[in-house]
Amino acid sequence: MEKNSSLRLVRRSPWLFHFNSGGCNGCDIEVVASLTPKYDVERLGAILTSSPKHADILVVTGPVTRQTLGSLRMIYDQIPEPKVVLAIGTCACSGGVFRGGYNVIGGVDKVLKNVICIPGCPPNPRMIYSIIKKFYENQLGGADENGSSKPEKE
Amino acid sequence: MGAVSLKRNDSSSVLTVFPESLPETVRAVISSYPHLVGITATHVANSIELIYSFDNWKGEMKHLLVSLPEKGAAVESISSQIRGAYIYEMEIRDMFGVSFIGHPLPNAKLLLPESYPQGAPPPLLKTVSLEQLMQILNEVQMQEPPSSVIPITGSSRYSVESIVILPFGPYHPALKEPEHFAIALEGEKIVEARPRIGYVHRGIEKLAETRSFLQTLFLVERVCGICSFHHSWTYTLAVENLLGISPNKKAEFLRTLVAELERIHSHSLWIGLLGYWVGFDSMFMWLWSARERIMKLLEMIAGNRVNKSFITIGGVRYDVSDEKLKVVKREISEFEKEFRRITEEVMSYGPLEERTRGIGIYHADTAISSGAVGPVLRATGVPYDIRKVEPYGAYPEVSFDVVTGNRGDVLTIAEVRVKETFESIGIIQQLVEKMPSGNPVPSAFFMGTSKDGEAFARTEPPRGELYYYIRGKVGMRNPYRVKIRTPTLPNLVLASEAIKGYTLSDVPLILTMIDPCFSCEDRAIVYINRKEPFIVKLPRAAPQGIGLGCSL
Repeated sequence: MEKNSSLRLVRRSPWLFHFNSGGCNGCDIEVVASLTPKYDVERLGAILTSSPKHADILVVTGPVTRQTLGSLRMIYDQIPEPKVVLAIGTCACSGGVFRGGYNVIGGVDKVLKNVICIPGCPPNPRMIYSIIKKFYENQLGGADENGSSKPEKE
Repeated sequence: MGAVSLKRNDSSSVLTVFPESLPETVRAVISSYPHLVGITATHVANSIELIYSFDNWKGEMKHLLVSLPEKGAAVESISSQIRGAYIYEMEIRDMFGVSFIGHPLPNAKLLLPESYPQGAPPPLLKTVSLEQLMQILNEVQMQEPPSSVIPITGSSRYSVESIVILPFGPYHPALKEPEHFAIALEGEKIVEARPRIGYVHRGIEKLAETRSFLQTLFLVERVCGICSFHHSWTYTLAVENLLGISPNKKAEFLRTLVAELERIHSHSLWIGLLGYWVGFDSMFMWLWSARERIMKLLEMIAGNRVNKSFITIGGVRYDVSDEKLKVVKREISEFEKEFRRITEEVMSYGPLEERTRGIGIYHADTAISSGAVGPVLRATGVPYDIRKVEPYGAYPEVSFDVVTGNRGDVLTIAEVRVKETFESIGIIQQLVEKMPSGNPVPSAFFMGTSKDGEAFARTEPPRGELYYYIRGKVGMRNPYRVKIRTPTLPNLVLASEAIKGYTLSDVPLILTMIDPCFSCEDRAIVYINRKEPFIVKLPRAAPQGIGLGCSL
């Protein structure tokens, strides 16, 4: 995919809204750890916001359960355009180890568009940092016509 | 120790009880065995078997076996004698369709998604397969898209004007996990808090029955990401007991080492978050940056920071070299200095003490009748720690104190957790000193089949006693039944009791003083039917049927 530098996926200081869609807490604490002094994504202007209306990136952790699906859609709709969804952890990417459970729908890409998947159980804060840095430096391509986008290699 | 097999013919620990005589038997048992560890239900050929497990604070357990017919299973509720029992009963009612006579919430539904149809079979019955359940639930979802509205807080239902029902969550900035609380306020004072949990329910107990023993190990590790090692350890202890496998001494030491590192990371995480909840952000940042040292050690030992997958049936997956142990020793003493400096500074900081002292006061009696475990219980002076009362791993070989407090409130719990962290540091130093030699890695992963039998295991994760029950059937590759009783569940009963009478601004502090891990309990827990009206009556006397905080 050719890079279109005139088109930014999100603004330079991406603000995050964290949504636990049924995860085990492992990815959640790694997201929080990436905000704390050692990794410190806040130096890229990324902060965890409490309101979806202020957010650019929806960070989803965990497989989507039947009970959270409604809230996930509602919160996604409240985030202003342009927006991207960051599925953090294998469960958010595909359902992971819980795939096949009666209360589990599956990965986030089953219910939302424009999902960037970061697999790992959980992904390291270094990984989360490097993805947010790519947003900051605008190194991620836009969505293709299927609505899915992937991290692009340098 | 740590894991014991259930011997049904041993009348000193197992009593077979007729359903009619359950209440009086429980009444007799709780006078000497006051702690209800859990209620386990299993579906076996046309009947549902209930096991009520009690403890006498000394690690001696008493089990009451009750067998009920599958069709129309009903038994008297014991929640009038032990308050915390009602939440276990709700779980069983939902998962097995057993009805409990005299239960304070007779119509409330538990744990299942809102879309779960009334007539559908309870999910943990052996007669219904995972595929059938999926088919039923998918059909319902096609017809009726899930609503995003939080149902139980509609205030139009309340005629009392002075009461306001405030929705708290499920996606609230103070909670990192999705849980909803309907908080009934009179002015600024909390009259009642009614949690509605179940957002993170993934059906792990059902999934475990479809996977082999080794696969289930990785599944139960992901019950909770913070005490992940304790979940896999408790499961392994039970399986090893069932199959008659015993790991060597070095494996026991390494398991204990990782478990104590996990306790330090979990406690410093919570103490840091306490700073975040009281608005002391520097405290949060300091403790989390100190915690990174422990995470680095875990990554060095196990290759992953959070879900470590370090343990396996019969041993551990990787040996830890002497060079790495030296690094552990060096880093842990560095951590101790850093942690001591930070905690001395923050715990003596006046505003923090002022904000947390006397908030969420509860007494030992309340804690015991709620079934509370872990630091929350120990803060009231009950020295109940599974590491001492039922030693497992390498705990018999190290010396440490059980930290207790003298009153239950947020500050005492914080102090207990700080002192426990220092005890864990001491344990790790002793473990590294005394580390035996040998190969802790089993020659092959366990891929075999089960024996007939049942076993349970208990450990002490950072949040308190964790209980696993495993049942095997001869020749089966999968466990027949895996039952998990997580510490947050009884602790939440306590928290929703302790919150009454405090102001709205104390809600995040009191709800989180138990260090809640909702993903733990949501593998099988609370869901309250929206159709059941949330009634608040004045005067202040807690009415019947009002949710978790109801008086029983």
